[in-house]
Parts: sequence; structure tokens; C-alpha cells
Amino acid sequence: MKKILSAIAQFFKGEGWRNYRKTLRYALYVIIHPFDGFWDLTHEKRGSMAAAHTIVILTVLTHIWDRRFTSFMLNNTQWSKFSIVMNILGILVPLAIWVVANWGITTLFDGKGRMREIYMGTAYALTPYPLIGLPMIIVSNLVTKEEGVFYTYFNVFALIWAGFLILCAVLMIHDYSLLGGVAAVIFSIVGMAVIMFIVLLFFSLISDAIMYVVSIYKEIVFRL
Amino acid sequence: MKTTYKRLLALFLLLSLLLSSVSTAFADDDDWYTYTYSYWGDEMASPNAYAVTNNIYLQDLDSELGGFSNAQGIFTIDDLVFVCDTNNNRIVELVRREGKYELVRVIYTVAVSTLVADQMKFGDAVDNTLFAPTDIFVKHIDDDIREKLYPESKYIGTPYEFPDTPATPAADTEKKDDAQSADTPADAQTPDDGAATTSSEEDGETGETGETGETGETGETGENGENGENGETTPPAPKPSERKDNVIKQELDRQYDIFIADSQHNRVIHCDYNLNVVNVIKDPKDETLGPNYIFIPIKLVNDNAHRTYVQAQGVVNGFMEFNKDGVFTAYVGAAKVVLGFFTKLWRKLQTREQRKRSEQYVPTEYNNLSLDSRGFIYATISALDDQDIYAGIATPIRKLNSMGSDILIRNGAQFPMGDVKWNNIQATASGSSKFVDVIAFENDTYCCLDKTRGKIFAYDFQGNMLYAFGNIGYSKGRFSNVTAMDNLDEETILVLDGMRGSITEFSMTDYGKMINEALLQYKQGYYDKSAEIWKTILQYNGNFELAYVGIGRALLRKGEYKEAMKYFKSAHDSENYSKAFRYYREKVVEKYIVYFIIALAVLIIVPKIVRKVRKLRKEIREA
Repeated sequence: MKKILSAIAQFFKGEGWRNYRKTLRYALYVIIHPFDGFWDLTHEKRGSMAAAHTIVILTVLTHIWDRRFTSFMLNNTQWSKFSIVMNILGILVPLAIWVVANWGITTLFDGKGRMREIYMGTAYALTPYPLIGLPMIIVSNLVTKEEGVFYTYFNVFALIWAGFLILCAVLMIHDYSLLGGVAAVIFSIVGMAVIMFIVLLFFSLISDAIMYVVSIYKEIVFRL
Repeated sequence: MKTTYKRLLALFLLLSLLLSSVSTAFADDDDWYTYTYSYWGDEMASPNAYAVTNNIYLQDLDSELGGFSNAQGIFTIDDLVFVCDTNNNRIVELVRREGKYELVRVIYTVAVSTLVADQMKFGDAVDNTLFAPTDIFVKHIDDDIREKLYPESKYIGTPYEFPDTPATPAADTEKKDDAQSADTPADAQTPDDGAATTSSEEDGETGETGETGETGETGETGENGENGENGETTPPAPKPSERKDNVIKQELDRQYDIFIADSQHNRVIHCDYNLNVVNVIKDPKDETLGPNYIFIPIKLVNDNAHRTYVQAQGVVNGFMEFNKDGVFTAYVGAAKVVLGFFTKLWRKLQTREQRKRSEQYVPTEYNNLSLDSRGFIYATISALDDQDIYAGIATPIRKLNSMGSDILIRNGAQFPMGDVKWNNIQATASGSSKFVDVIAFENDTYCCLDKTRGKIFAYDFQGNMLYAFGNIGYSKGRFSNVTAMDNLDEETILVLDGMRGSITEFSMTDYGKMINEALLQYKQGYYDKSAEIWKTILQYNGNFELAYVGIGRALLRKGEYKEAMKYFKSAHDSENYSKAFRYYREKVVEKYIVYFIIALAVLIIVPKIVRKVRKLRKEIREA
């Protein structure tokens, strides 16, 4: 027991923890100074994967809490059809596809970033969403429906901010010009669509193939 | 050991199979007879608000008359029921006495005086028969008003003498034979009759028969049985009319004015209760109507200012308004053209030439109208795009003020559009609800009749759905092809089934009465009383969201904001919830503001004092 406690204490005193805190705090710098921030994030190693994971987890939690705890007036969730898994995947899957698609596109178009860096940059760019979203959940429970426009405005603002940050992240990580960055983002979105299409096609083909085998098996069983 | 397992397994499987089949059978079984929609648009079972209390067939009242054939219109006033038996060219009048219906008379012809003989001309000859009457409107009128309105008093003209025998006796008999043969069932199916809908040659022919048919001869009841047969086969178009004597079973003394949409004679007949013609509305003159325009009145009402509103076939500019003398004055309430977003965009991109050549977007035609007690017109439109209805762009029900603008309140979770979800695989019919009739009650609730599924939808004055009932089918309270309905009193509805030739009488159950009572109490300002009734209604039907809102409102008035919020939340009523929440917040802030200020003060002042004290100490120590 003592060992474990001392290990925990050691961990919080250690270099890793200090580094984690530093890199997480760096997210706040990034969102205000996006160009500097994203350049230093990867080139100066001022970000960490642990911090990136934290931000992604916070984003997912914010999304779920937003559905769960936002005031009834501003929250049109049909609970009988609510699925927490779908809500989690609704954030994580697009994020994963985005990272893959962006990596694929930028590899072809002379991008400097690695997949790990793209993930980190995107995760840091998501910071405004939990940063504004979480307080807004509390605010939503203090306002009437008419005052609720502020809640909507702030959330939309957070999304626009995050979108802008993602663009900056792409620009800086891959060392693109503005035009190239915008093009990379657009092509990445197209790439996401293509990936989703192929995945769907793949699954439908697989299920068809399985059905084919199953029906042959059934036929044989009936004949025997 | 193994076998027991297997047996148990088999038993389990069998049980599950049986249970599942039972449960699916239950789900497959016709949807609930009466239901409401939840906030999310799901059907929720409801107790019956109306129950079938009578089923009236004309054959049962008088076997000699045969059944209704494609009856299109029904109208009730006081205890009388008028039914337009369209394909039999007659109007049947019934009276309700102690819950039973008795035949009063059957109207084939109206009485024409010399004063209006000219107006009653159809073709070249005066024709006093009815030809495919589609609607009738009856209203109370006093002698005084009548005198004021029609000083020349056309009511007491000398009766018009019909030319007795215009041709030689031999020709006469020949023609009589014609007339009789036209009545036999074999002849009834000739293509001649089939094409009678609009062709003008046909009209000429009917004018002839009207001329030659003698009242005495054709009044014989020999053909009536054959008419009955026709009623069962429902021919697609009415037979040419012919002069028959009215069948009068009971003499009633009433002060009414009657308006009949005599559709295939292209006129609206205005007569008194004894069928003396006062006026005829025909040949409306307006530049919007082409030179070849044929006036075919389908539905009509006459308001308190004695204006007649007519829905004529093919007229898309709204209802035609006629003044008391039968002169066309204006169109009222043209339904505005509904264009989808992409259609609009496409038309923006087109050149003027292309736009001209592409399809013309004309307003949709109304198909029925009725008056409420305050003189507003409730109108229905059925020729609407399903997608537009689903999107809430199209308005199948409208309430028109005297300016002709739509003033229907649509505050419900769903628009008043009948069925909300219609892509149900199990459904007997597909597509959106198509309303063919609407009736408004004294308390501003209204019922709409849906032809697609033979349903009746009731809405309150705010546009909240109260309940829907009915269906397609053969059992009690289900229909084949509903055509019209009217309310005998505030709690009795008569629904006319044109294909089956039946009138179904629905009477309100206690549950329905309670809803009306609760709405009434609320409207009169007795919120507590209304909440009490809503609470009882909830015991009958816990799915009824309107009841939660009703209770919530009463609580809101009482100042029990927190409770009110709970009820509004149950009904997904965010508007009212917000209202309650504002007051609740006010109350909470008022209650705790003192503590809040004290806390704030403490937070600000205490550190300052502490700092000062420290400073002082330091100074003292240093000193």
C-alpha cells in the first residue's frame, strides 16, 4: 500500500507529470496564438500525446454532458432514442477518419507532418469546444429560452474557433501556404467522404459474402 | 439428462415462438382506434372521445327510395339533416327525434314562380330539377329580414306553368319511353352516362328530358327500386336529372333559407324551406374567368351578411363571393403558391423565356369550407404535395377572416395536418391525410375529415391535436370513402360515407366531454377548475400532453412555479417552461440575494481587512 502511495507521490513529483501539465497548459497558448503555437507544438516539441488525449476525452465528455445537462429548454434530446455509444463514436470516428484522410492527402502533397502530429494538432485545435462548452452547460440552466440565444451563439463561436484552429494546425504542421492549407482541408474532407463510402461498401460486401456462405451452408444442410 | 435439457429447450423455444407471435399479432392488429400524437410524433393510445351510436342507411328508413348513391354533401341544422344524394339527383331530409332518424322528405325539384322563371332556365327551357347536387347550406331567417333583403318578395310569385305537351302526342309517348328506358339499369351503364361529368352536349340533352318529362308520369315509384340498385354499384357519374314529384313524409313548419349547389346545372339555387326559389346564382362574370368558363359549384356557405361563398370546380383563385342578389363580387382567400427551395432556386436561374415555357405554378384549389359560429370560414385543401405537408410549408386546413387571410393558430407540437407519420408499412393507406371536410364547434375546436384513412382529427383553438379516430375498414366506426361530415349539436357528429351510402353518427363520450369542459373552463378563466378536470383526464389517459400543459398553466397562475415547470417538462412545452422558469428564478434570486450580497461583501472586504491588519502589524513590529 505504502509502495503504491509513494509511487503515486513520485509520479506527481516526477518529470512526466510536470511535462504533462506544461503541455496541457500550452493548449491555452495555442488557441490564442495559433500560428506560433502550432509551429512550436510540433517543431519545438511543446505538445504531448497525453495532453492531446486529454483534450479529446474532454471534448467527448463535453459533448455528452451537453446532451445530458443542458437545460430542457435548449435541449431537444429524445431520451428513448439516445445512445451514449453513438455519441462517443460520433466524435471519435470522424476524428480518426479526419486524421487518416489528412495524413493521406498531405503525404501526397508534400506535407511535412506525421500522423501523430496531425492528431496532436487537431486535438489541440479542439480546445475551445470544452473550454466554452462546459461553462455554457451551467449557463444554460440559469437562462430562459429567450436568453438562450447566448448559449447558442457561444457554442457556435466555439465551433468556428475550433474550425479556424484546425486550419491553422494544418498550415503549420505541414508548412503549407494559406491556399495550400485550405485546399488540403477541402481535399481531406473529400477524402473522409471517400473513406466512409469505401468502409460502407466493404461492410455491405462482407455481409453479402457471409450471407452467401450461410445460404450455401443452409442449402447443403437441407439437402443432406 | 440430455433429453430433459433438450425438452426444456424445445419448450422454451416453443413458448418464445408463441409469445412472440402473440405480441406481433397484437402489434399488427389495427392501430388504436383513438389516439393522439406525442411531442415526438409517435402515436399514443387514447380513450375513445367519440363512440358510434347510430348507422343510418336510407334503405332502412324507406325501402322504396333505395340507398344513397355517391352522396357528396351533408348539412345539419337544429334537428334536421340534409343529405345531397348526388348521383340520384335528389336531396334527402331527415329529422332526429329522440335519437332516431325519420324521413321528412325527398327533394327532386324546387318550386319556380314566374318571377324567377327566367333565372331557372337551363338551356332553353325552365328546369326546376336538381342535377347532381353536391352541397347544401341551410340557415335561419326571419320574415322581417327576408322582407328587407328581397323587397320584391319573390317568394309569393305565381307558380310557373311548365309547358305541358310541347310536341304531338305520338312524339310525346316516344320520348316518354326514352325517359323510362334511360332509367333501366342496363341503360345506366351506357357510355353516354359515363361521360356525363362535364360535357356540354350532355347538358343539352338533360335540358330536353327536363322539358319533356311530365311530373305526373315520372312521379310513379316504379323506378325507385332500380335507383337502389344503382346506389349499390355507385355509377361514376349521375344520370341526367328528370322531373319527379318530391316525396313528402312529414310536414314541418320551419323558417329557413336553403342554398343548393346544383352542380351539373351550373347554378346555386336559393330557396325557402318550402322550396320556393328566391334567387339563382349562375354565370359569374369576371375577366379572370375565360369565355368558355362553366360554373360548377361544388361546396358553398352563406354567412351572416348574406354573402354566399362558393368553391367552384377548377377555380384556383379562392372562394367565389356573391352578394345577396347573386352577383359575383370577389375572390376570397386564394391559397398562396407554395414553392420548395430548389424550385425557387431553379426558377431564379432560368431565363424569362424558360420560365414562361416551364410549368405554371398556380395556387391550389380548396375542396371544402364551413362556417364557424363567428362567421369565419374554415377551409380544407387536399391537392397538396406530401413533402410540403411534411415540411410544414403547406397548410391543409385554413381559417379565413373576412379579408381572406389565414388566421388559424398553429401552436401545437405538430401542424394541424392529420397524420404525422404516414410511411408506416403496416398502414392500410399511404400518403398524407387528405382533408375533405371540416367542422368548427362553438368552443373553437374543430374536426377535420381525412379521406385517405377515413379518420377524423380534432384540434383545439391553439392547434393542439386533441384526438384522432376512425379508419378504413368494415367494422363499426370505420369507412370506405368518406365524403362529408357535419355536427348535429356540439357533441354529435354525422359522417357521410359516399361509397357505402351510410351516415355514421358519433356521440361524444365522457372523456371527450371532459376535454371540452377543461378547455372551456380555461377559456373562461377558471384555471383551477380546468386543472382539476385535466387531472381527471390524466387518470384516463396518461399520454395526453395537453393535460400536463393545462395543469402546468393553472399552477403557473397560482405561483407554484417549480411544480408548473415539472408539468411543462412532461409535455415538452419549452415555451411555457421558460415562462415558469423566469418567475422561479426571480423568486430564488429574491430569496437569496441578501445572502449573496453578504457573501460577496465578505469575500471582498475580509481579505482587505486582513491585509490591512497584517500591514499594521508589520508596521508595529518594525516600529
